[in-house]
Amino acid sequence: MSAEYKLKVGLAQMLKGGVIMDVVTPEQAKVAERAGACAVMALERIPADMRKCGEVCRMSDPQMIKDIMDSVSIPVMAKVRIGHTVEAVILQELGVDYIDESEVLTPADMSDHIKKNDYKVPFVCGAKTLGEALRRINEGAAFIRSKGEAGTGDVSEAVKHIKSIYSQIAWCKENLVTKEDFENHAKELRVPVSLLEQTVELGKLPVVTFAAGGVATPADAALLMQLGCEGIFVGSGIFKSSNPEKLARAIVQATTHYASPAKLLEVSRDLGVAMPGTTIASITKENGTRLSEIGW
Amino acid sequence: MEKTIGVLALQGSFNEHIECLKKCVDEKGYNIEVLTVKTIEQLLKCDSLVIPGGESTTISQIAERTGLYDHLYKFVRTEGKSVWGTCAGMIFLARDVRNQANLLKPLGALDVAVDRNAFGRQLDSFVSDCDFSFWGTQEDSFSAVFIRAPIVSEIYNNERVQVLHKVEKNGQEYIVAVRQGKILGTSFHPELGSDIRFHNWFIEEFVLK
Repeated sequence: MSAEYKLKVGLAQMLKGGVIMDVVTPEQAKVAERAGACAVMALERIPADMRKCGEVCRMSDPQMIKDIMDSVSIPVMAKVRIGHTVEAVILQELGVDYIDESEVLTPADMSDHIKKNDYKVPFVCGAKTLGEALRRINEGAAFIRSKGEAGTGDVSEAVKHIKSIYSQIAWCKENLVTKEDFENHAKELRVPVSLLEQTVELGKLPVVTFAAGGVATPADAALLMQLGCEGIFVGSGIFKSSNPEKLARAIVQATTHYASPAKLLEVSRDLGVAMPGTTIASITKENGTRLSEIGW
Repeated sequence: MEKTIGVLALQGSFNEHIECLKKCVDEKGYNIEVLTVKTIEQLLKCDSLVIPGGESTTISQIAERTGLYDHLYKFVRTEGKSVWGTCAGMIFLARDVRNQANLLKPLGALDVAVDRNAFGRQLDSFVSDCDFSFWGTQEDSFSAVFIRAPIVSEIYNNERVQVLHKVEKNGQEYIVAVRQGKILGTSFHPELGSDIRFHNWFIEEFVLK
């Protein structure tokens, strides 16, 4: 592993066991930090509002991101459109700590993701299958998250993506024996054999893996941690609820104590009204796009 | 007699520390149990505690909210207990945090002041080959990883606190490893990567001595 890649992966390792929260203002960023967030994602609009607006969603205004960077001491991430190499250059120049090449925004390039190895700033990318995760890692992503359905408050897609990544790794472990098996499967997934071999040997992705998309309650966060995720992204769930500060704190506690029934009960009480939410089933070809269908 | 090393597992790179320590135990055959510490009961079983890298504001606030803080405060002051903090862990152990300190309640066991994010943001993170001659071995170059790292900006008690290592950056020297009796603080992350010499040294020099 090159020293540079080690630093990229290393920051993600420092975020493990933590919660990364979407924020749209410095005030929200401070609420997140005070609640115990290990990082924030600076955005102009949270995914739930992007979904409603039906407009093109782009990188946020760098000034607004800078204001958030100046308001908290924890790492600040920001999103760029899939394949938008110039948005990435701008955010690197700004000095954000991590870039999310995100399907939540409107893709800029329908054939290629960003060649993330060319940048000094680390990238996190969404994935719903093992192949997708490994392709992103091969492009230089140092951190993977599930795609989930951001902005819905429906956790089922995140659960599906995480289970599919882990079950596909387990399948490979069970079924790939000879060098030829590995070569054929790597070809099918469009990734180098060495990367597939490394993943199978580790029994997990070679980079930190978080859950994202649709997390709305402490129980959602703990569910994903129990499925083997190493941390949680929470987007619309917090600031669309009636008591953001309390809910944010509860999700942080649930992520640390995901295996303790007593703690989970304690932090799940009295949280007010969760975000209203949209079920995945209600998003159809006629009325919208499922985010899991964006990216490849 | 068997010793127990706990790794504080509220947030951060605790699994990395646990793996390194277990590897040391496997390779050297130490009579040591490695324990994940999330609760008071788990902490009370420990002879030694490692506080990992992560976000210091997160670790400090979770510790306060779960009631673990007071027990950690007592633990790091108990005669005979050894403690090692890496990066956020070192910040948490310090007496004073000089900047960005409003959400932090440091344990105050290490008689120093620290500066958070002293080298800058992630783009200023770096790897440095450090000379750890104090190990007293031949092979003393260790690849140290500094991620949004803190530094020790002042030592309050020069008799008790020993500077173990400094790095040079932009023409200036920064203190990045200190020892105060059985307490060790490092700005960098020996838990990242497969080199377990630092963990072995901690076990030999702090846990078993």
